Amino acid sequence: MNDVNDRHSRSALQRAALGLTALAWLPLALSGSVTAAEPTAKPAAKPAAKPADLKDWAPPGGRIGYVLWDEVSWGLRETPTKEECPNGFNIGPREQFAEEFPKDGKKRTLVETQLKREAAIWDPDTTPDEFPFYEATGKYAIGVNLDGKDTPEDFESDDGRKGIDNQLFRVVGCIRNYRKEGELGIITTKWRAQKPFNRVTFEITGVDSLKNDPDVTVSYYRTLDTLLAGPTGNYLPGGSQRIDERWGKRFIISAKGRIVDGVLETEPFKEILVPEDGMGDPAINIFKSAQLRLKLTPESAEGVLAGYIDVEQWYYAMNTSWATHHAAYGQASAASIYKALRRLADGYPDPKTGQNTAISGALDMRLTQVYVIHPESEQPASGAR
Amino acid sequence: MLQRLLRGTPKARRTKWLLAGGGALLAAVLAIVIVGIMRGTAEPPSKGTPKSMRLLTQDQYLNTVAYVFGPNVQPTTRFAALPRIDGLLASGASLAGLTDAQLETYQKTATKVAAQVVNEDSRRYLVPCEPAAADAADAACAKEFLAQVAPLLYRRALPEEQIDKFVAEAGKAADSLHDFYQGLGIVIEGMLISPNVLLVAEVAEPDPDHPGEMRLDSWSLATRLSLFLWNAAPDAELLAAAQSGALQTKKGLAGQVDRMLASPRLETGVRALFDDMFAFEDFTRLTKDNTIYPAFTGETAVDAREQTLRTVVDHLLVQRADYRDLFTTRKTFMSPSLAPIYKVAAQGPGWTPYEFPPDDPHSGLLTQVSFEALHSHPGRSSPTLRGKALREVMLCQTVPRPPANVDFSKVQNPDGSVKTARERIAFHLQNPSCAGCHRIMDPMGLSMEAFDGAGTFRHEENGVAIDTSGNLDGVEFTDIVGLGKALRDNPQVPWCAVRRTFAYGTGTAADSNDRRVLEYLSAEFADQGYVFPDLLRDIALSRAFRKVYEPHVRKTYPLPDLKSAERPQQTASAELPLSGSAAAHP
Repeated sequence: MNDVNDRHSRSALQRAALGLTALAWLPLALSGSVTAAEPTAKPAAKPAAKPADLKDWAPPGGRIGYVLWDEVSWGLRETPTKEECPNGFNIGPREQFAEEFPKDGKKRTLVETQLKREAAIWDPDTTPDEFPFYEATGKYAIGVNLDGKDTPEDFESDDGRKGIDNQLFRVVGCIRNYRKEGELGIITTKWRAQKPFNRVTFEITGVDSLKNDPDVTVSYYRTLDTLLAGPTGNYLPGGSQRIDERWGKRFIISAKGRIVDGVLETEPFKEILVPEDGMGDPAINIFKSAQLRLKLTPESAEGVLAGYIDVEQWYYAMNTSWATHHAAYGQASAASIYKALRRLADGYPDPKTGQNTAISGALDMRLTQVYVIHPESEQPASGAR
Repeated sequence: MLQRLLRGTPKARRTKWLLAGGGALLAAVLAIVIVGIMRGTAEPPSKGTPKSMRLLTQDQYLNTVAYVFGPNVQPTTRFAALPRIDGLLASGASLAGLTDAQLETYQKTATKVAAQVVNEDSRRYLVPCEPAAADAADAACAKEFLAQVAPLLYRRALPEEQIDKFVAEAGKAADSLHDFYQGLGIVIEGMLISPNVLLVAEVAEPDPDHPGEMRLDSWSLATRLSLFLWNAAPDAELLAAAQSGALQTKKGLAGQVDRMLASPRLETGVRALFDDMFAFEDFTRLTKDNTIYPAFTGETAVDAREQTLRTVVDHLLVQRADYRDLFTTRKTFMSPSLAPIYKVAAQGPGWTPYEFPPDDPHSGLLTQVSFEALHSHPGRSSPTLRGKALREVMLCQTVPRPPANVDFSKVQNPDGSVKTARERIAFHLQNPSCAGCHRIMDPMGLSMEAFDGAGTFRHEENGVAIDTSGNLDGVEFTDIVGLGKALRDNPQVPWCAVRRTFAYGTGTAADSNDRRVLEYLSAEFADQGYVFPDLLRDIALSRAFRKVYEPHVRKTYPLPDLKSAERPQQTASAELPLSGSAAAHP
């Protein structure tokens, strides 16, 4: 980190000269050997020297990777006055149970009460909700204009982009669990960082400038290695991630993109699969027509992965990742959420029923720079040095 | 020519023959001398090394236990630290004391080893027989086991009656505890805390080939060789060579040394030697301020030590490359916790071979994290510590300690306009009382300012480009790569390696070694292209290695026993109440 800061203050001539000598070549060969007797890895192709203009800094070899470590939120734009929730927050399963089955002396069986509620969670339907559901509202939201249109249900971004598609914000924006005071921000980040199942990495290649480049390629991988933990609970740049080419093949996908003023925007990926293992029952969230919008630095990236999120998969991941007490304390009623998801779903209609199967949304996230290791590639992956 | 010799009177002919013969003799002597010079000189006579008594180090103890009982027997333990004498802990082992607390550690460790050896899983393959009954003594089975392990632990053949004593003790304990294996465990524990096991007491004997001189006896020679090359007690084959007397023959000794050099256990020995030489025990105390160096973790420190040892083993043993090239080699090994410090990619979850490109500033051991981070402060680099380490560790030189009244305020100068270490410590060379020592440390230490306190390469400090120029013993350089080359070509470097290696092998302080022997070994080392295993062989086969003398023991006068010292007043005052008391209570 310090090195990058130093780099920013270096004079142009010094950078040009020192860059030639300082940048390391990275090994090509990927033998998994560990003994002293084995051959050394081949040196990598010599990376490009740093350009004179620091703003146009390019990563060595035109490649830079970023590993996901922090799921900030499901695309929630929270205001201090909670203006996005004018009706307040939704009630959760405990409150709904108490309301539905008041202590009025009436005798009720287990099947009529707990099991009925349980069935509503695991076998949900789209019948009208018995409880009022408060959607998040307002003019602004986080996300991307996925369909290129600006319709009344769309939002506007804080930086003035119109037509932001984020109906998932309406679903979860007023549920305490998904907001800053909820548990998602803490626990899903912990799961993301600690569970190898959840490790995913983006790699940008063909980068001539991390500031402005009209033509880059972004690839998405499931990767294998632990994150490089820092001393204060954060994760540091400079780690390495090997691509899981054995079990992670179905995750691998690429799309074209461009970098404008340090912000990466991609064309739609056909489908990005985001593994989600919370409590040991792994799930996969599916982002269809996914687009990235990330603010890049040599050390980190932050922004959103937006797309049309498969409703059934998202709902399954929610139910298997979160325990009952998470839902109770976070006031997240699964049955009500399902009905809202289906009601607000706005993409990928089922060919038979015509009902939408996916909902526009965005995963607000932070990533840290890594070197991406391609096991069978001739070109080494690299990042900022 | 012949005709000329045959001409003249008989007297003249005799004179001519004598002159011709003398000339031929002179020519022959000259030829022998010239051939001798060309082939290298023989080992010069020396008084050898002092016969020593030294403490088995923790690693030597654990390696021995692993050899005798298998690598699964790994007790967790921490032996007391040894003093570092003349740059080596190995030399300090001959001066270390033995306290009650240490004995307690030895006893606890021995208990763990014994428990692991006789537990239900291990006994099936470690004890070569089954007792007639598991809950009673079985002398035959106990003897079969103990006769096998006791000589390996005691590092010598033991007389039959000694084995019988062990068997009897095992029997008594087995009967008492109603468990044959617990009985064995008691004896194993007892053996492991025996002074004969924990202390390496070298024994000398007259050298029959050199009357009037002393040499190590076969057992002591076997132990010295094994601790030197394997960092463990001798194996069964070496003990057999000692017992047969073959080890005291030229051929037998060479055969055993070559066998040991060819063994994979040599790697353990060489790692131990360099771990000691480079003072890597300091890694156990190394801490870095993780708000300043967030990427430097505890794992980084462990891996930094391992990286250098892997580099050394690969370079010296696998590649058999020039020792001096350790200071310029770009080949090393990389791990995930080190890669962020070097700002390179880690190729795998474990260690992978790595080679820095030709124009990279990482070149040689001085540019590895193990040197740069170890010889820095927790929150900043230190040209002085690095220069001092270079002098003392790599060149075997001694830098005097700083004066007691040294003024550190200049180093901790809060003046914001002072940006780099070179500016901060400039006063070292301006102040005559500082300059004497700092002149031999700072010029090379400042070139290592290219690395921060964690060992990460940098161009700048506080936004100012770092001037990495310097000189080492008159050789000028402009950067850290130049320093590595200057060090590589410094004749003191191989000399230092010879001196340390000989001292390590003989277990005696370097100052006790004969300089002429070291010069001879250095010349051999150079002739052999600085191939390190050849140096080990030369040392192990040298006469100086096995020739010993009684060390000069400084006579000490014990302090008076204050409790019993007769002091008239105290005695008188002490006697009064006693007699009074005795009168009162007959």
